[in-house]
Parts: sequence; structure tokens; C-alpha cells
Amino acid sequence: MRSRFPMLLPVVALASLIASVAVDARQQEPAKPYAPPRTPDGQPDIQGIYNPVGTFYNIEDLEYQSLYQNFKPNPSLSGKSLIIDPADGKIPYQAWAAEKRKPIYQLHGDPTPEYVDPNAQCWPQGVPRHMNNREFEIFQPRGHVVIFNMAHHSYRVIPVDGSPHIPGNVKLWQGDSRGRWEGNTLVVDVTNNNDQTWFDVMASFHSDEMRIEERMTPVGPDRIEYRAVITDPKVYTRPWTFAIYFNRAKDYGTELYEEACVEVNDRNMELLKRPGRN
Amino acid sequence: MSIMARLLGWTFATLAVALLVPAAAQAQGAAALPRAADGKPDLSGIWQAVTTANWNIQAHSAEKDVPAGLGIVDGDEIPYQPWAAAKQRENFANRATGDPEAKCFLPGVPRATYLPFPFQIFQTPNHIAITYEYVHAVRRIFMNSEHPRGPLEFWMGDSRGHWEGDTLVVDVVYFTGQTWFDRAGNFHSEALHVVERYTPVTPYHINYEATIEDPKVFTRPWKISLPLYRRIEKNMRVLDYECYAFGLERTWYRPPE
Repeated sequence: MRSRFPMLLPVVALASLIASVAVDARQQEPAKPYAPPRTPDGQPDIQGIYNPVGTFYNIEDLEYQSLYQNFKPNPSLSGKSLIIDPADGKIPYQAWAAEKRKPIYQLHGDPTPEYVDPNAQCWPQGVPRHMNNREFEIFQPRGHVVIFNMAHHSYRVIPVDGSPHIPGNVKLWQGDSRGRWEGNTLVVDVTNNNDQTWFDVMASFHSDEMRIEERMTPVGPDRIEYRAVITDPKVYTRPWTFAIYFNRAKDYGTELYEEACVEVNDRNMELLKRPGRN
Repeated sequence: MSIMARLLGWTFATLAVALLVPAAAQAQGAAALPRAADGKPDLSGIWQAVTTANWNIQAHSAEKDVPAGLGIVDGDEIPYQPWAAAKQRENFANRATGDPEAKCFLPGVPRATYLPFPFQIFQTPNHIAITYEYVHAVRRIFMNSEHPRGPLEFWMGDSRGHWEGDTLVVDVVYFTGQTWFDRAGNFHSEALHVVERYTPVTPYHINYEATIEDPKVFTRPWKISLPLYRRIEKNMRVLDYECYAFGLERTWYRPPE
């Protein structure tokens, strides 16, 4: 399959989202602890292809997730958020940051280049959006958890071998992930993030001091609970928690295929150029 | 310093590290090859080529920001069909803008192997993955399985692997016709068929060979070979090189100083 048109990707993702029905993470609790099988090196085995049950349109308000489909809000999801802490479901921006972000609500549907979703420009999604975008595959070779995303072939390598982070001044699109298993929960400390990735289309941003603690817990053979505590003293007033589920994509087959993205990006950026625009 | 100059410096830094390794490794002999649980050689780890092939896979003199090199093509001859030889000369003339690398496109195979960037091999019995630093290219090598039914076109091709003794053999098809072998305009069509052979010779070296076949462009199959060196630096890790994003960073939401 040749390169696809990345602006269409959200539609595909939305289709899978609709199929699995948006879930309010707060209302779902596992009936009893699930004990996953083990990999040859003793890791809880959570390998496979999954779909995130979330939305990357507006993580603060699911009412607008349907905009990609028909540009009509869905009031039944109004007020539902993927953010479980703070209780209002909003990202706790500092005042200056909240001010910066205001124009995006007017501009996101018809953005000038600086307001274009970085994901639409084929750049790596960053964490946690790498886990809340498209189908992805978890692969567990010895000493590692490797996550391959369907969208523009982005990947994350998470050593679970106790190795230390790289020097703090090195900034990476996907950050530097170091993991450990606490029982059956994969806990990942993500540092060295650059400031170029957003959490969703709505320019939900962070600085290059963002640090993330992710917790991935298999709650059944086909479902993983995902929590990310996001800390960034430069941009937020307090840490906040993002929560979604991953459902095993049983009907997908066993192999992700290549979706090149940058390779057709020039055409996408051309589409943004209109008279009177930069 | 230009990117090329930086990469060149890097390459020689790597070379310096690599040259220190062989004596110790040879003393241990082939028996010292690391093995996976299934008895196959364990290729897991971070590797890098130390070669000037990304500038030109054939022998070439030095130019500004281009180190001289002896090439990686067996016999130093690429058997182009006459039209293709002319096309390669045209590519060479237009290489500054024509090279897909200049557009930050996925590099294809085998070029991904000898770009001046590291890559990491993850190995299990049924599946080997390679993650490349350059534009986060990825290859998935599924073992002992068939290529899917075509026609298909992937920038990195469709890779199917098997072991022949201690050699990992990877059959790669379904390419685009849009990648080049180097910055010198050497090229292929979408009919490219690559058979790669990864043969570890010490714990720190892999002999890499690739047979290149493309009946639309060449008169016969031809071969490249080069060593891959294990990156043994402490805390070595594949970082990122998001070629397309440089210079396009967003700054409007940066925190006040």
C-alpha cells in the first residue's frame, strides 16, 4: 500500500472508535485480577495489535469527537473527558498558557500553518498521543517493550532493563522511555520530550520539561488499562491524569503494514494554501 | 558545521571504536557468538555501517564534504541497461534536489543499512524488527512466511526472513520506484528484489551482503557487501532524526522566559 493521505487518518481512527464505543474510564473496573502469560524473559506478555479507545480530537471534551465525521457535535458525550484528574476533566493550564490556547478553538478547523496539528504533518506523535492515535502493536523482545504505531510508522522503544535515562538536554520527539514491571503493570517514566507534540488536534501543548509516568495494566486477555500522569511545571498548575483503554484488534490480522506519511506531506501543505493565506 | 561534516566526524568516531574491537573478538573465535534461546545467532543490539556508501556506493574521489571511498559494489560495476545508465547520469547531475534523501523520504533497502545513522535489531524466533534512527524508519521481518499477494508498494519493502546456518537471509520485494541507493543517483524501479544476508562473524561484527535484482533496470543481478559494527558505547541508544521537521518548529506556545 502506497502512502496515504494523512488528513484522512482521523476518519479511519474514528471508525474504530465508534465501533468500540467511547468509554468513560471511571466507570470501568475489572471484575478480578487478570494474570497474563509470560514472555521467555519473564515479562507479563501483553503483545499484540490494539486499538486505543479514546479520541485525539479533543481529549477534554468528547462532544466534538464526531467533528471529523459530519462536523456536528454529539451532545450525548458533552462533558465527558479522557482526563480523570483533575475532576473537571480539563488540563490545568497556567493562566498564560490558557490564554495562548484560546485561538485554537476558532482556528483548528481552518488552521494557518502554526496551528496545524503536528500529527497531520507526519511528525511523531509523542507520548501519550502515540498510544491514542491509531492501531498499534506491542512487541516484547528480550529486555524491551517496543510499540509500533500504524500511523506514519512511528515507534517507541522502552527498555525494561533498569538502564538510566539519557542526558536531559537531549530532546526527542518520542521522549526517552524507561520501563519497569510492577506486578503485571508496565510503569514507564518518559523524559527528554521535545515541545513540538500535542495531546490532540486542539493544540493541547506542553513544554520540553514535560515528564510522564505511564501505567499499562492488562485487565483481561484483550484489554489494557492505560493511565498517564503528566507533569510540566512550566505549563500546568499541577500534574494531571489521562486515562484510556486499549482493546485488542482481533479482526486485524497479525501484521501492521507500512503507512508512509512525510512522503506525501508536501501535497497536504499545498492544500492549506489559499489566497490571502501564508 | 554542515550536517555532512558532522556525520563524517561521527562516522570516524564510530570507526575508532570499531577498530578497537576485532583483536579481542577474534581471540574468542566464532564459538563466542551470542546465541538466542533457539540456538540462532542473536543479532539483538544497536549496529551501524562505517562506509561512504551513502554518498556513492561505487568507488569515488573526495569532494568538499564528501569523503573518498572504495565503494561496496562487488567488482565496482553496476550492470545498468543502456537507458538506465543514462538515467543514472541525469540523476547524478540533479542529485542535490533529486535525491529522495534530500526530501527526507524513507530510505528504502538496502540504503537504510548504510546511512550514517545507527539502527537497532530486536530478535525473536518468529519476528525480527529493525528500528532506524533516520526518519524513524522501521522494518518488520517475519520469519518463515510468504510475501503477501501483490501488487503492493512499500518504501521499505516487504521482508520475509529465514536462517541458513548462522546467516539471517531476508527476501525483500514490493518496493516503490522512488528510492535511490545513494546520493550519486544510483537507482532502481519498483521491480527491485533484494536478498539480504546478515552473517555475524564476531559478537561485534556482521557481514552484510545484499543481492540486487531488477530486470527493468539492470542486465543481471549484482551484489553489495559491507561490515556492520556493533555500537558498544555505554548507554548507547537510537535517538531521532526527524529530517522533515527541522526549521518548522512551533514557537507560539513556548513559555515566557
